[in-house]
Amino acid sequence: MSAIKIKNLTKSYENFLALKGINLEIEEGEIFALLGPNGAGKTTLIRILAEGLKFDSGDIEVLGEKLSKKTARLIGYVPQESISYDLLTVEENLGFYADLYDAPREKVKELIKRFDLPAKKKAKELSGGFKRRLNLAISLLYEPKILILDEPSTGLDVPSRRQLWDLIKGFKAEGKTILLATHYMEEAEALADRIAIMNEGRVVAVGTADELKDLIGEESIIQVEGILKGVEGIREVFPRFIEKSGILRIHVRNSKEALPKIVELLISAGSEVKAIKVEEPTLEDVFLKLTGRALDEV
Amino acid sequence: MKFRVIKSIILKDLKELRREKMALFWIFIFPLMWITLFGTMWGGESPPITVDIGVVYTNESGPFTAYDIVEIMRNVTLEETNLFNVLEFKDENSALEALKSGKIDAVVVFPKGFGVNLTSGRQARVYLYFDKSDPQDYQIVSGVVKGFFGEMEKEMKRRRIEMQLEYMESYLPKGLIVEYNLTTEMIREYMLASAEPIVIEEKEVEGKTATPIQFYVTSFIGIQFLFATMLTIGTGTLEEIEKGTLRRIVASPATAWDFLMGKMLSTFLVIMISIVVGLVYAKFVFGETIVPSVFGWIIIFIASLFSMSLGLAIAMGTRSIRSTTAVVNFISMPLLFLAGIVVPESALPKWARPIANYFPLGRALKDFRLLEIYNRPASEIAPDILWIGLATLTSLIIAVVLYNWAVKRLEI
Repeated sequence: MSAIKIKNLTKSYENFLALKGINLEIEEGEIFALLGPNGAGKTTLIRILAEGLKFDSGDIEVLGEKLSKKTARLIGYVPQESISYDLLTVEENLGFYADLYDAPREKVKELIKRFDLPAKKKAKELSGGFKRRLNLAISLLYEPKILILDEPSTGLDVPSRRQLWDLIKGFKAEGKTILLATHYMEEAEALADRIAIMNEGRVVAVGTADELKDLIGEESIIQVEGILKGVEGIREVFPRFIEKSGILRIHVRNSKEALPKIVELLISAGSEVKAIKVEEPTLEDVFLKLTGRALDEV
Repeated sequence: MKFRVIKSIILKDLKELRREKMALFWIFIFPLMWITLFGTMWGGESPPITVDIGVVYTNESGPFTAYDIVEIMRNVTLEETNLFNVLEFKDENSALEALKSGKIDAVVVFPKGFGVNLTSGRQARVYLYFDKSDPQDYQIVSGVVKGFFGEMEKEMKRRRIEMQLEYMESYLPKGLIVEYNLTTEMIREYMLASAEPIVIEEKEVEGKTATPIQFYVTSFIGIQFLFATMLTIGTGTLEEIEKGTLRRIVASPATAWDFLMGKMLSTFLVIMISIVVGLVYAKFVFGETIVPSVFGWIIIFIASLFSMSLGLAIAMGTRSIRSTTAVVNFISMPLLFLAGIVVPESALPKWARPIANYFPLGRALKDFRLLEIYNRPASEIAPDILWIGLATLTSLIIAVVLYNWAVKRLEI
């Protein structure tokens, strides 16, 4: 059975169409990532599933049941922002949400232990990583079968992010279905069994990371590092490229022919090229190919 | 409604409040400061006033002169307080200058020949000057000075009659007395009555009146309704909307109505605790307070419900914490005075009295005072409670409709 089945889902905010006919099927027990830049519609889709946000048309089923207030207990939702009360301690926050979801009080202590949370510390005194863990713990109070995480690692440092990823993998091992929205391709690649690439309210591709990378086809990626000048000159010849922190990833059809041209263009513009190599495509390259823009372009 | 959820929201709000120093200050400490400030300023017994009076007179020799009256003025006391602080001036002009500049409150001028006229049976004229620029001061000062001279005049009349009678007794023909069956006492009474046809005897009764502390303790309750109650529920609900926690609650098995019920009950509880603290504090510091009756508590309950409804309606209408705070202050500050919360209704201008009478919180406080301070029967106040109850119900319906819209907006 599908954990979540979405058919022709549309949602608009006044004159803005945020979701333009989404079709998705998320299998039980898998980690499914929604990958897309800000404004792609990921959070809107998640809020429809987890917060009962009204939608214009379409059908949604959660574990075979039509999405309703009744299915709320099947879904655990970890929003991007903290939902804990700053002046309450970790234990009090968990206790409050346990009452809200009619969860047993014993669960509070169990989750504190499991997530290694400081029970008596106020939420406002927690670091970003612990706040995220508290959010996670809150969403697990009532043993949901599906866990939805919205940008779970945004704002976290690398060690906290790794710890969080391990936790998410642990949930999958317990048999939970996980839907996560992210704009970090590494996160999607590291965690997800399948990924849906979203752009401007549409799902533009769905598949495993490898399946998506195959969409690049015959194209090669040439990566150039250094102090780069004359990048706009490259665009005239090779229109699809990503420029990020001194690194240029250029999509080309024939790398052997393209390489000397690229070097010539950059050197003549006064660039200092430190390294140049032919790279494997990433999900960001896939996104560029499918949408014509980089993941972090708004 | 889920009792577990409602209880949890109440406990959460109370814990948050306990840890929020600014909120604690405004809800609990500020009202106590209010009671302390006003209780100290106006809470004690007011001593009788002393009038600074300038006198101008000419030294004369005689059995009773202006000097003797001035001496009486120097020594006359009321409740062990001198009624006059007498300052002598050489001439009328310098005394009037002092009066105009506010150095003294009144001037008495005894013209030349005053003593002679007084003792020789002629009319003795006195000139009194008052500064009328402050009508209230004028009323008080002129009342004291004219009262003094009124009493002096009566005493003079009595003495003159006694003297005349003593003089007349030896000249009255005995036959006349026998023929008309007259006695000296009858003649004296007749003469006294001719001089003073109406005798006023002043007697005091101890009526029930509000002491300043009682008044300001009830004012404090009104302040709690006008500010703390409205702001606690209004900004508290908006915080939950802005933080996204209300959306979370609405998405959970709990409902928006569970939340509203919890929020209103926690606000009510906090305000009740603050009122009890204020009442106990007044007793502890000033030795007197108000212990509300059951009916008094019912008035407090209805007033707090009205105040919560108004605060919630404002918050749901403005949709921002800053605007809610601004609107509540904008409404409550003038009402503090115009609704008779901190100023007695009798001191309000005529145009403001309907506000005190018809604005439900002003009316509720007035009824509370009538009931708890003036010991009026509950039956006398009952019709008012009906009006306040209706106004509360109306504002509650408006608040709930606006809240419902706000919750619906969370879902779109």
